[in-house]
Amino acid sequence: MRPGTLLRLALAGTRTDTARVVLTALAAMCAALSILSAATVFAISGWADQYTNALLIEPGLRPGTALALLLLCIPVLALAGQCSRLGAPARDRRLAAIRLAGATPRQVTAVAVTETAVASALGALLGIAVYAGGRALLHRPGPDGRLPLPTDQLPPAAAIGVVLVGLPLLASVAAAVLLRRAAFTPFGVVRRQRTRPPNPWPAALVIPGVGAFVVIEPLARWFQRAEAPMPLWVLSLLLGGGGLLATIGVILGTAWLSHTAGRVLHARGRGPATLLAARRLMADPWTGSRVFAALLACVLVGAGAAGVRAWFTAGFEVEQASNRAWAEAAGETYLDDSDRYAFYYRAFDLINAAVAVAVVIAALGLLVFAVEGIVSRRRAYTAMVATGVPRRTLARALSWQMLAPVVPAIALALVVGLAMPRAMSREARSGRQSGTVCEADDPALCEALDSPYLRTVETPEFVQPVAIPVGQLAVIGGVALAAVTVSLGVSLLFLRSSTDISDLRTT
Amino acid sequence: MSTSAILQARGVVKSYGPTPALRGVTLAVDEGEILAVTGPSGCGKSTLLHCLSGILRPDAGEVSWCGQRIDSWPEHRRSQLRRGEFGILFQFGQLVAELTAVENVALPLLLSGVRRRAAVTAATTWLERLGVSEVADQRPGEVSGGQQQRIALARALVTEPRVLFADEPTGALDSLAGEQVLTELVRLARQQHTTVVLVTHDASVAAYADREIVLRDGTVDETGLGLHAVPAGRAVHR
Repeated sequence: MRPGTLLRLALAGTRTDTARVVLTALAAMCAALSILSAATVFAISGWADQYTNALLIEPGLRPGTALALLLLCIPVLALAGQCSRLGAPARDRRLAAIRLAGATPRQVTAVAVTETAVASALGALLGIAVYAGGRALLHRPGPDGRLPLPTDQLPPAAAIGVVLVGLPLLASVAAAVLLRRAAFTPFGVVRRQRTRPPNPWPAALVIPGVGAFVVIEPLARWFQRAEAPMPLWVLSLLLGGGGLLATIGVILGTAWLSHTAGRVLHARGRGPATLLAARRLMADPWTGSRVFAALLACVLVGAGAAGVRAWFTAGFEVEQASNRAWAEAAGETYLDDSDRYAFYYRAFDLINAAVAVAVVIAALGLLVFAVEGIVSRRRAYTAMVATGVPRRTLARALSWQMLAPVVPAIALALVVGLAMPRAMSREARSGRQSGTVCEADDPALCEALDSPYLRTVETPEFVQPVAIPVGQLAVIGGVALAAVTVSLGVSLLFLRSSTDISDLRTT
Repeated sequence: MSTSAILQARGVVKSYGPTPALRGVTLAVDEGEILAVTGPSGCGKSTLLHCLSGILRPDAGEVSWCGQRIDSWPEHRRSQLRRGEFGILFQFGQLVAELTAVENVALPLLLSGVRRRAAVTAATTWLERLGVSEVADQRPGEVSGGQQQRIALARALVTEPRVLFADEPTGALDSLAGEQVLTELVRLARQQHTTVVLVTHDASVAAYADREIVLRDGTVDETGLGLHAVPAGRAVHR
């Protein structure tokens, strides 16, 4: 097939197809912006006091800032994946018609993949344009010449290459993977359903994931004994690899959770709503994995950050206790310097803000999924309403279908997210402080090592268990659940219009 | 207008935007009667069925059920009527894809508050009566079109409705499967003394009815010239 023909066929379609292309392009634009922003932060070198923001100034905090920006890609890409399913029935009919006209299954797959690739490429280009425009607009040095944002930096050419080539390529591969179970026939698109129920074993990936965090502390001690610093790549591998495995484990485990929730609902539920929801969950439990993936990743990161914050807090407290003990033993005045901790807490607040933004984006993906689910099944729903099934029964069924798997999945993500930092350490230690203090009024009298005015002071080691941040975890879980509920509530507004029985002739 | 009528339409008018579908239809259906509504495509057959069953509200005219005007009822009340007193059978697409056959049939009972065990027992009985009990635990996608329509018929009849509305019930079936479904429909309707309003464009399907009315351009064709020669002993548009 000629590229021009391929392009024309890929971009032909109805308003829904146009909406899908536009939404995919917008999601790709957001992903491009987050990649370019992260690359810009990475491009800053050394101590950068040309900025007003401490997160950009300190080299130790910049990787975290860049990582938080990159994390926003996850829900954005999930949203793109969800958008790619918009108007699927109409697209399937179009693709079947192309098959009927003589195209091979491979050519039809190419048409579908090209649509995603073109939309992503447009989005990536738009992202670069918005980045360039934003960079110029936001370059506002203060009176002292310092900048609020790194608008004096440019991302490396490799990052622009990743956005221009990598993003459309990734989207195309993802589209091809999503279509692997679809068979394009001239009579329609047949999606091969997995008939076997999911098993819980993929969730076992959580074990090596958390295990990677368990080995960090013993490994650090081993390197300490060997008087060599732990190589950064080892630490990055353990943190990144462990986190990734745990996240994948939670996401894959959600399919089993969905199926089990369906089974429990079927066995225990009494009304028609639970029956409808249970059967739907059991018929396609993989949807839960796919749809909630981004949200669960956000919850997991948020819970992990809460765990690290609790560990930092415990560390600050033992440090303060140790310093107070030293001051008492040495007869010095204790100076409360807890203000300096605020800097670290601000970093955690930034991560929380990134997680909140990511949850909102993930909720948009859920909304697209929920609305698409209602619209694509409107014929069946309308027929049910016509035969007297109340819409509130359908609404209840949809609510059960969404909430039954997501509640345990969020709980699992919270537990696993918290388990990662706690696997590294569950207590904070101050270490012992020992030294000499001069008791003479004139410090010169203490210059000699055997001066009688010198007194040896020692403080004990303070140990404090790291508290479980129950409140913060409840907030994260509550926000995630609220995001799901709001998405569900908004999608249910479409139920009435999608099941208008006066449209029975046309649905 | 018949005094024994269970269902009546008087001067029913319905349009879809500027396109008129019904232009003042008047008819009465007696209790226990099997009425076929026939006519060419686009003549308003399905619209009439939707108006009679309370799915659509006419733009003008009246629809009465047991002497009560239902066209002025709010949607939730008409919905209750459809759920309790009416059974509705469409051409296709009415079964819930994820539910098994027995669960599909049990659904209206569950909606009425019947306990699951009792609902499933009743549904199983209906599947047996319609000869599809062997597919009770299969989903609609796993059974033939004829079996699907028998399951749908079981679902429409499980609440023992007083009126069964059937919109091209055999339109998606081959002649043999269609004949089997219609034979069962008529047999069970007679057994239960259920009134049937059957919309079809197929002469052989209309032949199963006690009476046939012909619609043409949104009105009842007073000439009575249907799509087929009316079987002996049957009246056209009584």
